[in-house]
Amino acid sequence: MSSIPASDAGKPREVSAMHRLAARLRSVPELAIEVLIRLCGYSAIFFVFAIFFFVLREGAPMLFGHMNLWSFFTSTDWNPVGEPPRYGILALLSGTIAVTAFSMLIAVPLGLGAAVYVSEFSSPKIKEILKITIEMLAAIPSIVWGFIAYMTLNPLIIQLTDAPIGLNVLNAGIILALMSVPVIVSVGEDALKAVPDSYREAALALGASRWEIVYRVLFPAAKNGLLAAVLLGVGRAIGETMAVLMASGHANQIPATLLDPVQTLTATIAAELGETNQGGDHYRVLFVIGILLFAIAFVVNLTADLVVKGIRGKQNV
Amino acid sequence: MSSNSPETSRRASNRRGIARLGTRLDSDSLNASKLDSRAALYRYYLCPLSNGTPGDGTLERPWPSLADVLRDIGRRHGGDAPSVGKLAGYDRVEICAINGPGDEPPPGKKPRYAFYVDPLGTSDEEGGGTALAPWPDLEAALAGVARLDAAGGLPLQIGEHLRLSVREVFSATPIDRRKRRHETVAKSVFLLMTLLLVIPLIAILAHLTVKAWPVLTASFVFENPKNNMTAGGVWAPLVGTFYLVFFSLLAAAPIGVLAGVYLNEYARDNWFTRIVNLAVVNLAGVPSIVHALFGVGAFVLFAGMGESVLAAAFTLAVMTLPVIITSTKEALASVPMAFREACWNMGASRWQTIRTIVLPNSISGILTGVILQVSRAAGETAPILFTGAAFFVNVPNKGLGYFFPYALDKSCMALSYHLHVMLTQVKGASPEQIAAGEGIPLEHLQYGTAVVLIGLVLAVNSVSIGLRVYLRSHKKW
Amino acid sequence: MVSMGSVGIEIEGLSVDYAGKPALRDVSLAIPPNEIFGIIGPANSGKTTLLKCINRTIDFVTAANMSGTVRVGGQDVRDVANVYQLRRRIGMVFPLPVGLPMTIYDNVAYGPRMAGLRHRGELDSLVEKCLRQSALWDEVKDRLNMLGTKLSGGQQQRLTLARALSLKPDILCLDEFSIAIDPVTTMKIEEVLLELRSQMTIVLVTNLVQQARRLASRTAFLNGSRIVEYGETAAIFTKPEHQITYDYVTGNIG
Repeated sequence: MSSIPASDAGKPREVSAMHRLAARLRSVPELAIEVLIRLCGYSAIFFVFAIFFFVLREGAPMLFGHMNLWSFFTSTDWNPVGEPPRYGILALLSGTIAVTAFSMLIAVPLGLGAAVYVSEFSSPKIKEILKITIEMLAAIPSIVWGFIAYMTLNPLIIQLTDAPIGLNVLNAGIILALMSVPVIVSVGEDALKAVPDSYREAALALGASRWEIVYRVLFPAAKNGLLAAVLLGVGRAIGETMAVLMASGHANQIPATLLDPVQTLTATIAAELGETNQGGDHYRVLFVIGILLFAIAFVVNLTADLVVKGIRGKQNV
Repeated sequence: MSSNSPETSRRASNRRGIARLGTRLDSDSLNASKLDSRAALYRYYLCPLSNGTPGDGTLERPWPSLADVLRDIGRRHGGDAPSVGKLAGYDRVEICAINGPGDEPPPGKKPRYAFYVDPLGTSDEEGGGTALAPWPDLEAALAGVARLDAAGGLPLQIGEHLRLSVREVFSATPIDRRKRRHETVAKSVFLLMTLLLVIPLIAILAHLTVKAWPVLTASFVFENPKNNMTAGGVWAPLVGTFYLVFFSLLAAAPIGVLAGVYLNEYARDNWFTRIVNLAVVNLAGVPSIVHALFGVGAFVLFAGMGESVLAAAFTLAVMTLPVIITSTKEALASVPMAFREACWNMGASRWQTIRTIVLPNSISGILTGVILQVSRAAGETAPILFTGAAFFVNVPNKGLGYFFPYALDKSCMALSYHLHVMLTQVKGASPEQIAAGEGIPLEHLQYGTAVVLIGLVLAVNSVSIGLRVYLRSHKKW
Repeated sequence: MVSMGSVGIEIEGLSVDYAGKPALRDVSLAIPPNEIFGIIGPANSGKTTLLKCINRTIDFVTAANMSGTVRVGGQDVRDVANVYQLRRRIGMVFPLPVGLPMTIYDNVAYGPRMAGLRHRGELDSLVEKCLRQSALWDEVKDRLNMLGTKLSGGQQQRLTLARALSLKPDILCLDEFSIAIDPVTTMKIEEVLLELRSQMTIVLVTNLVQQARRLASRTAFLNGSRIVEYGETAAIFTKPEHQITYDYVTGNIG
């Protein structure tokens, strides 16, 4: 790089010190940092693949080996320490589904209702307080939720329902609902905020009350975002481990009522991995369950993302 | 007693136009109170059974027919020289049918027929006088009522009455009132839902604190657990959590922030960027136990770290990475594009612009996101379960080892895991030990650990929230 | 002999499209040095794109395709050794006033600092000179530490001008600089431009035809991404060659 810029060649002009220094600035350190930034940018893809790869690596010998995939999915007989060991996850899967479904029954109306209240009905100061509260709720660690499920909700359920044990679908469902609500509220509130104010103003001009604005204008306009909020809540509930480990009981069965204890896929891994021999069949099957969980979460997140892209496209009006 | 003016009722407060709360003319007007205080009620009585003797519309001398009443009303309130006064505001005229003179109809009944006059509502004189299509003035109203009566559409039983209401501009129609009722109900329902979330939070925090109270002393925090967790405190697990958080942040923050910079400043709008964003979202949604499995497969086994502080820290790093990326992206996006363009036009390169304008003006937002992840890393248990958390590590009680007890290639205690252990694996002090003052009841230790953990997490979160509030009040543009 | 620090611009056959949508079609212009060259035309006719091609900030628009040549001082802008240096030689003022979120002093010193100038004394005199040149010095000389974003719109626009001047450019481009500011400030800046004419080449893109008439010695009329005609301002305004030019300058069409 010459010190006098080529464009000035042949012209009688004073080249200030400033220009000379500047010419030297486009140099190696800057290129290096741009490469570093790019690498970091690609890292997310790298890690997603890495997670899939390493979990698959540990589970592959069983998954592609002598494991019977049919009975894996269809048998409720989960008995890894039995003779012969059995690896049917149907009951565990049903535990996950039951607990998730029940928790969503509570969390979705509560979460969307709270999102509507925070977004549409509350004054700015109240809104701030409520948002902080919801964030605090979200900050409670999952082990503490498990603690509450075990120490507080457990005896409460026994007292109120005369069930023999308070660790069941009901317990886990309530706890999971409280854990997933913050996700639904914050994503839902974002979705409602994304609806342009002009929609609200137009409805007001036509004489709509705020409630009418909510269910006639906002819900239809934000339905993609609200659906995404629900899906993310579902993802949260499916993937939760420590809280359901304590709250759902320890029973490998398909639940018939809310008061039946169950065991989820996540809790199974957490409870049993420590007891396995590394490299053994039981160990590997737990990793296969991990792959299943990864796949489920992947599908849920992909759906949520596609659903959200729906609004992005529509709002370019 | 006999007066030439029909019965009028006007509230005393009317004279100075001050609203008297709670005074209402009848029950079906929700927001009537304030505005109705100036309203007048004119009652005219009609006795179809009387033998045609003319009256003056009062209770004692009712009019014999509706036509008479209407004429009378027209004389008293309409035309150029009304004898009583023009109708205005929320005035109401009621025509009551009675059995005979002096027969007061029961009070509080709703009118059989309700008609409305709204000068600004319409100019259609042929309208029906209903709430949605009121008559434009008194004359049209009287004519309309007479028409309906002539067509036989207004039979009035004894005791019933017909009401003609004058409306102010923009007064509430029944539809408005119904909407307002629905809105109040809806608002209360949503408020209830929100409260159902707020109350558990407060209840939980209060309950935990109360139960942990006996054990919440400074020594609980600063002492190591002793004697098989029958006594002592949570110092070693607390330090372990600091170790884990520190190292996981050391790994995740730079990568996450730079990745956020890439996504917001360098990435173009093509399918590849879409995939990167998708990967971030998916990474954020991976279940925590799968992170543990990944940590075991990648760090503990493949990288040969064994169960160690580093393996656990890196597992936590991968878990917190996606949210740091997203919050960095948002913080960067809040810097207006105009600033960047101004710098590019002055010959600054992309990185120079980022370094001098974009990053300095978004650093608080980035910090907010990072701090939030600190609290998450401190609280998570599953990712460290098999990658580095230990049941017990013998740790010095004083000296440098007290502050730095752990080797990076060995496992450590952690507060979140400690709580799990206290709940599931620890038998706790026996009654004899407690009586001898050598042990603390297990329940107290459990609640105490939970409170310290929650306290740590909420304290870190408060820093993040405080930073956010500070940010908002110090906006530079 | 060309006076110090000013160059002409030659544009030949410049065509730009954004992902297929044409913004400029076969534009050719010759902008002589040391005068104010006006470019007028209705909205979306490609005026801003033209400016972006001169200082190559079109590079930042990923969807843009450019063909044709732009020569600054005889040098093809795509062949320069250092594009950042090119941009420093061309000052740019935008329609919306932009005060960077730093002190007024730092605002004006930003460019020179990025270019390597560190000496405090030199920066001080440079800042004062540029603020004086853009008619802002008297209003801000006592509060150089105030945040640039807190100034009024008109002051921020003059601050943008000061920033543009801080790098001693050979060319100054203004893109509809007056649309978001008050008439008094507009007048002040117009006076400044008339003074600066002797030191640099000024390209004035404007949607106010009268502004071009007041300031520009030559004017080009850009319509629908093509140059309709260009030449002496007086001729364009009184005896244009095309009907549509006449309609535009007399205000018959928007």
